[in-house]
Amino acid sequence: MSGVSYFALLRLTLPQIALALGAFLTLTLDLTVLRRRAQSTRFLAGALTACCGCVAAMLLLACASGQQTLFDGMMVANPLTRLIQMALAAFAILAVLLSVSSQFTRHVGEYLSLILFATVAMMFLAGTQNLLLIFISLEFLSLSLYILTGFSKRSRASAEAALKYFLFGGMSAGFLLFGMSLLYGLTGSINLMQIAAALGGPALDPLLLAAIVMVVIGFGFKVAAAPFHLWAPDAYQGAPTPSAAFIASSSKIASFFIFAQVMMLGLAGAAGSAGWQSYSSGWVMVIAIVAAVSMLLGNLAAIAQTSVRRLLAYSAIGHAGYMLLGLAAHTQQSLEALIYYVLTYALAAMGAFGVLGALEAEGVDELKSLGGLSRRAPVLSFCMFVFLLSLAGIPPLAGFFGKFYVFVEAFRAGSGELLWLVLLAIATSAVSLYYYLRVLKQIYVVQPEADAAEAIHTPLLHRAVLCVMAALVVLLGCAPHLLLQWIGQAMR
Amino acid sequence: MVPVSYYLVLAAILFSIGVAAFLVKRNIISIFMSIELMLNAVNLTFVAFAHQWHQVSGQIFVFFVMVVAAAEAAVGLAIIIAIFRTRNTLNVDQVDLMKL
Repeated sequence: MSGVSYFALLRLTLPQIALALGAFLTLTLDLTVLRRRAQSTRFLAGALTACCGCVAAMLLLACASGQQTLFDGMMVANPLTRLIQMALAAFAILAVLLSVSSQFTRHVGEYLSLILFATVAMMFLAGTQNLLLIFISLEFLSLSLYILTGFSKRSRASAEAALKYFLFGGMSAGFLLFGMSLLYGLTGSINLMQIAAALGGPALDPLLLAAIVMVVIGFGFKVAAAPFHLWAPDAYQGAPTPSAAFIASSSKIASFFIFAQVMMLGLAGAAGSAGWQSYSSGWVMVIAIVAAVSMLLGNLAAIAQTSVRRLLAYSAIGHAGYMLLGLAAHTQQSLEALIYYVLTYALAAMGAFGVLGALEAEGVDELKSLGGLSRRAPVLSFCMFVFLLSLAGIPPLAGFFGKFYVFVEAFRAGSGELLWLVLLAIATSAVSLYYYLRVLKQIYVVQPEADAAEAIHTPLLHRAVLCVMAALVVLLGCAPHLLLQWIGQAMR
Repeated sequence: MVPVSYYLVLAAILFSIGVAAFLVKRNIISIFMSIELMLNAVNLTFVAFAHQWHQVSGQIFVFFVMVVAAAEAAVGLAIIIAIFRTRNTLNVDQVDLMKL
């Protein structure tokens, strides 16, 4: 690296810069011009500026082309990272639009700009192959998410959720960092490619095994995989609903993408195998165990929940297990399937939280209070129907194809050595159908309680966004090749 | 000259003390301090490895870890203040609104 090209750096980070400018603009406008206006005006104007920032970032990403690597892998741009970054910007738009009608805070500008800052962090996270930048952007993301979780200041549950998220997140950062320092010590580099080159060789150092376990613990916390999931149900339940929707969707995409990058690029030589009777040590075995525990614990614990948000949180843990199955297969095709899965999952999860957010004003959180919702809010109920069945994996919806591709690719990888895990995944996704249907039974079959019979009014924008998301879930289910082709082209 | 492995063992001991304190301590501030201890143990390993490899990237990493730890302290203490305002206690056993 002879000369540092600041111009190239500037060009490469233009989307992030646009998004950060959008965040600052939102904040400034809200604190100056809009200060004394009504809450709804402030939210609408703020959302508009925030969306402009996101759209600008997406346009810049769409215009860029080619492959580029700067500063020893610190900044990487290729079609795949651009695809992920575009998806993140799109999810930021959805998250902003879904929070427009919420009432939990008076600090509108801070809230919206934090969502954008978190998205900037995720875009940096998706576009790097360097341990230092991975750590910094992961912490940048986490700090924004802690604040978003604790944003409703007067709520006891919100503060508690933020505390638990913060403490567990801080510990996981310690583990991740320790794993990274061991990797650095073993290889003398903090670039994923150079680490992979230095690690090449069949024999596994015990120190490398320790590093692998530490890194998996660190990322396991971030993606909420069991047994490192303890923060997730509390954060999902206690956080303001729009924040929970954002945490459940966008941060999942970014965390899983970088998890896959670190494992499949950086530790490519130390994969090992997780076959039923032919295992050899390596990270695949660790991931396979975490995946199995997540699937079992997430799906079984979800059955016992009485709060809808906790139920969604445990189901998210189960879904993290399925996604880890795609990671354990570690082929190019399985990465493709994993990306498709995490994108469609994020869409359905954000939609489900969006529906709950619309009902929040009515004080609906417990499963019981959803009784007879189909008569009180038919549109919301139908959207919830689509999202939950997509999460369960029912055929014409996007979730089905996500699961199908991940399972098939996991089965194909390494001549069927992951068969035991695929069978477990199929069994647990049958279990998951039970608790999703329990929610739908409350909505569609059970009679409404006597004191809650009047119709629920939700703002038009909120309903429109939810309908668009539900339509997307159906569209991607009927024509999965639209997204798959895009991912496939980006990976080649 | 002190061999690198001594530093690594010391760092591992510090890290373990941090993890143990995280699990055992009941006061939120103490738990927070144990997280800082873990981060600083990692800093020691980074510096030791940077010395071993005669590189500067490990030491640069340490600077960024310090910066991140400071930012984390700002957010963490804000959350702890929010907890104290809503419940008048810093004992984690009493922060139990939501349970499995």
